[in-house]
Amino acid sequence: MIEVKNLVKIFEGRGKPVRAVDDVSTQVSKGEVVVIIGPSGSGKSTFLRCLNGLEEFDDGQVIIDGIDLTESKTNLNLVRREVGMVFQHFNLFPHKTVLENVTLAQRVVRKRKPAEAETKAMALLTKVGIAEKAHEYPSRLSGGQQQRVAIARALAMDPKVMLFDEPTSALDPEMVGEVLDVMQQLAREGMTMAVVTHEMGFAREVAHRVMFMDAGKVLEDAPPAEFFTAPKEPRAQVFLRQVL
Amino acid sequence: MPLKRHTVQWPWQALLVIILLGMTVSLWIATKRVHYEWRWERVPQYFFYLDEEMLSAPFAGTVQKITPEGTYSRVEIAPEGGGQPTTVTVETDTLKVKAGDPIADNDDIGAERHWKIGPLTQGLWVTIWISFVSGFVGLVIGLITGLCRLSPNPTLRGLAVLYIELIRGTPLLVQIFIFYFFIGTVLNLDRIVAGVGALALFVGAYIAEIIRAGIQSIAKGQTEAARSLGMSSTETMIYIVLPQAFKRVLPPLAGQFISLIKDSSLVSVIAITDLTKSGREIITSNFATFEIWFTVALLYLVVTSLLSQLLFWLERRFARSD
Repeated sequence: MIEVKNLVKIFEGRGKPVRAVDDVSTQVSKGEVVVIIGPSGSGKSTFLRCLNGLEEFDDGQVIIDGIDLTESKTNLNLVRREVGMVFQHFNLFPHKTVLENVTLAQRVVRKRKPAEAETKAMALLTKVGIAEKAHEYPSRLSGGQQQRVAIARALAMDPKVMLFDEPTSALDPEMVGEVLDVMQQLAREGMTMAVVTHEMGFAREVAHRVMFMDAGKVLEDAPPAEFFTAPKEPRAQVFLRQVL
Repeated sequence: MPLKRHTVQWPWQALLVIILLGMTVSLWIATKRVHYEWRWERVPQYFFYLDEEMLSAPFAGTVQKITPEGTYSRVEIAPEGGGQPTTVTVETDTLKVKAGDPIADNDDIGAERHWKIGPLTQGLWVTIWISFVSGFVGLVIGLITGLCRLSPNPTLRGLAVLYIELIRGTPLLVQIFIFYFFIGTVLNLDRIVAGVGALALFVGAYIAEIIRAGIQSIAKGQTEAARSLGMSSTETMIYIVLPQAFKRVLPPLAGQFISLIKDSSLVSVIAITDLTKSGREIITSNFATFEIWFTVALLYLVVTSLLSQLLFWLERRFARSD
């Protein structure tokens, strides 16, 4: 479903350029849940954002469901509607109600009729357990509720892949659970997912594979049982000692 | 003893009243000292006045009969040498003929009275519509320029910067003269078109900067979220960024439109009869200088405060989602 070959992303900072993603190759097959962990600044978010072309990468290839993002005739907008993304800071549209947040892209991008989009939106809002807030503005919702709306908004496009960029990092501790529950349910339903997170519990329980990144490189890529019990890389060992 | 102290308000309010009263009294004394005689009763006629229009006989003939009808009178005139009689309706107290009178062609019969719009009302109207049209055109220009200013294309960006700098770096009065005497002559423009054009270009440059700032103030995450859903950059602009930016720039935009109404007084230099020029023209005929200028100022104040009320209301409506 996702194929990444020799991906390189360089940030031209002040002074010397930083290789945020440094020659990363990997594959995510259909229905697989991959969790990407690593210390902050290791390039995991940047890597994730390259997968839907939100970050323009410098070298390498990203192929989503057979479509190469780097090919000049590829319409990125067509690829992105198949790749849902959930952000750390939710990024809900504050001037739209919850319902409008979920229906807008359906109508604009998928050209669905308002009634159809609304039915779909209500079904998804029910699924993430927030249907009763459909006509509220996002500012009236708690962080956890906002993130669940953001998940519903991404799902409304019927994506083939879902990318999660630290979806629980900006939440109060007591709201982390409700978001992780929704993600877990999605994983059970067979959604292909790439998740950048610091929630080791989630990684251990839900992930099929854990990728450990540091300094732009993937240092370890293993099933969670293996990774959490016997990490091979010294850098991963240190990291796990610190977070667990 | 609570930390929050209750300060006494009334002595300060009293002081405010005293200061305002003092200013009024000194104004009154000042006008006394220059022996100015206030004639406020002369002002209302410049808003509306009752106009008398003399009606005359369409042909030579005889007044057959006069039938009063309220304050009017119907005067029936039969033409000389027979034919269809004609009826002329005039105000009774202005009637100049009697039944049976012979009249010549073009003789006065009586007057009709109409309420007419005075020059101040007319000038106010010109000021309002010139400001409205140039404000609207300026908004469109500003929106386009603001977007060009943020465009990744260096040509569009360069043109936008050049336009904004040119307009912001020169006085409006000079721009109006250039627009009227140079561009107006070359393109053979009407003075109204030149005036509105100059104002629109002027306000457009300022609005462009306001809109640019508004767009830049919207968090990058909003664009990213919209793009991640598959929206194009244009769709993102239209549905996500601009609505939020517009809401945010409403207060500075309101200030700009209020400035525009006041700046529109400068078009009077190219002989457009707006509120300011009407005022000047009235003064040349009645010498009620103080009264007319105070009235003109008051009219501007009324228009600008109505506008700021309107935009304030709009702002509150948009605040629903906060």
